Amino acid sequence: MVSYLEKMSIFLNKLLFGFAGITLIGMVLLTCTNIFLRCVWLPIKGVYEFMGFFGAMVTAFALGYTQMKRGHVGIDIVVNQFSARTQGILNGINYFICMVFFALAGYQIAVWGTTIWRTGEVTETLRIIFYPFIYGVALGCFILCMVFLVDLLKVLVEKKVPDR
Amino acid sequence: MNPVLVGVIGILILLLILFFLGMPVGFAMAVVGFCGFCYMVSFKAALNMVATDVWTTFSQFGLTVIPLFVLMGYLAFNSGIAERLYNTAYKWVGHWPGGLAIATIGADELFAAICGSNTATAATMGAVALPQMEKYHYDPRLSSGTVATGGTLGTVMPPSVVIIVIGLQTEQSIVKLFLGGILPAILMGILFVLTILVLCRLRPDFGPVGPRTSFKEKIGSLPGVMEAIAIFVLVIGGLFFGLFTPTEAGAVGVFCTFIVSLASRRLTWKAFTNSIVETLKISCMVFVLVTGAIIFGRFLAVTRIPFLVADFATSLPVPPFVILAFVLLIYLIGGCVMDALGFLVLTIPIFFPLGIAFGFDPIWYGIILTMVTTLGAITPPVGINLYVVKALAPKVDIGTIFKSVSFFVVASIISIIILIIFPQIVLVIPGMVR
Repeated sequence: MVSYLEKMSIFLNKLLFGFAGITLIGMVLLTCTNIFLRCVWLPIKGVYEFMGFFGAMVTAFALGYTQMKRGHVGIDIVVNQFSARTQGILNGINYFICMVFFALAGYQIAVWGTTIWRTGEVTETLRIIFYPFIYGVALGCFILCMVFLVDLLKVLVEKKVPDR
Repeated sequence: MNPVLVGVIGILILLLILFFLGMPVGFAMAVVGFCGFCYMVSFKAALNMVATDVWTTFSQFGLTVIPLFVLMGYLAFNSGIAERLYNTAYKWVGHWPGGLAIATIGADELFAAICGSNTATAATMGAVALPQMEKYHYDPRLSSGTVATGGTLGTVMPPSVVIIVIGLQTEQSIVKLFLGGILPAILMGILFVLTILVLCRLRPDFGPVGPRTSFKEKIGSLPGVMEAIAIFVLVIGGLFFGLFTPTEAGAVGVFCTFIVSLASRRLTWKAFTNSIVETLKISCMVFVLVTGAIIFGRFLAVTRIPFLVADFATSLPVPPFVILAFVLLIYLIGGCVMDALGFLVLTIPIFFPLGIAFGFDPIWYGIILTMVTTLGAITPPVGINLYVVKALAPKVDIGTIFKSVSFFVVASIISIIILIIFPQIVLVIPGMVR
């Protein structure tokens, strides 16, 4: 069960991370094209809005993978002093708190996205809908939640301290 | 319960417990900020605040500058630019006592001008310079300290991720902060070079003299620095003259570094994808730190702690520079126990308003904080650059690396003192921009 969940989590995180990479390249191309067109003709309308939304996708889609690779900075000098068993318990508490927090954050962001969708709110310059990007951030939070869930289950079921 | 007491409990107990549980700093700040806001206002308000702050921060146009400058640095890391910079510096000063170490600092200074990360700068220059210094029998107490400390120039010299984060968190102009970092980075470099010269004068065995090169070879090596200087001039010049926004400057920097990397035929598909992967991980880490700090800052604002601290400090019968020294000492100690950037984003909501209350120039204060933050990267036990050097020179004992940076820490502190005495060094270039 845990290994099935883990495989699914790895697949989804890699998929989203790939999207984040493509979006990042898109941000560079969009900005350079805008500078070029501004010099020779007219700037692209709404670049400011698109860059913000793309930036949100880059971060949200990279959240889970970065956590999988332990890329978020933390203080481990204290935890490392304890036995493997104690480390497991402390990590388990840590994963549980983070999981609940990001589940709540993801849920509330999704609720807010739904409100934006229902009220038909659009961006100021391009007048386009932007709730899909809000749902994207909520998705990033849920996938991060999944990473914490897998780590927590590993600690509880397999009594394994995930690599730091 | 008294709001201040709630704040103190939040900071001193809850936050420290989560930190020592090993929870990532950004997540811990967000969780404590959420819980504190929940207690002070309401659960619903806290939930709405978190959702709004996460979305607003992630989609903030100003923050898009971070992945672009990080990507620029990683492309430079994989482009071979560092080797050419080092070779040029080596041709010019390699025959001096400690010349290879001085060449490392010179190349660091130029590489820092296109790379905004101290870790990437230390890793890149270390990979190039450490084998050379070992070949010429440099003492590890000099070579490892030079590489670890030279990397910190990447944080002060623009473009710098730390400066961007300070700018965004304090709502100061990133352009002015970038420009304000140029002369302090040069000053730091000069003091590091002086440190190497003094050390080699006292202990000539630390940095034996290298082979002399002809004047023709020296001139012939100059094209090696041109591409880095050209990228720096284009990016920072574009910002200075108002041709680009910081985000655009980052994108132009990425594009130019990519072209240089392609032209030098050093950029493989694997190196390119690695650059993207590392950029995404670092950017995500920084975004999480900033978001966590913003959520934590909301809680602090409700408790009114930042304002009370500022009021209390301004009422003390001591000169502002005593308070400044106290703040810098806290950063120095904080940098020893936790990641320097994490400590910076955590404390800015408290210490930045404090500095402003004392009438410090925000650009000058931002650069001083940047410089003291860089020290966190080389102070044991958590100084990241020390471990970068350890990874690159596994034969060198970590204790030797810890000792090796001590000479340079003194030089860094002297450069901060000089900037406190002569704030014009920071402010002269930003003052030229309207």
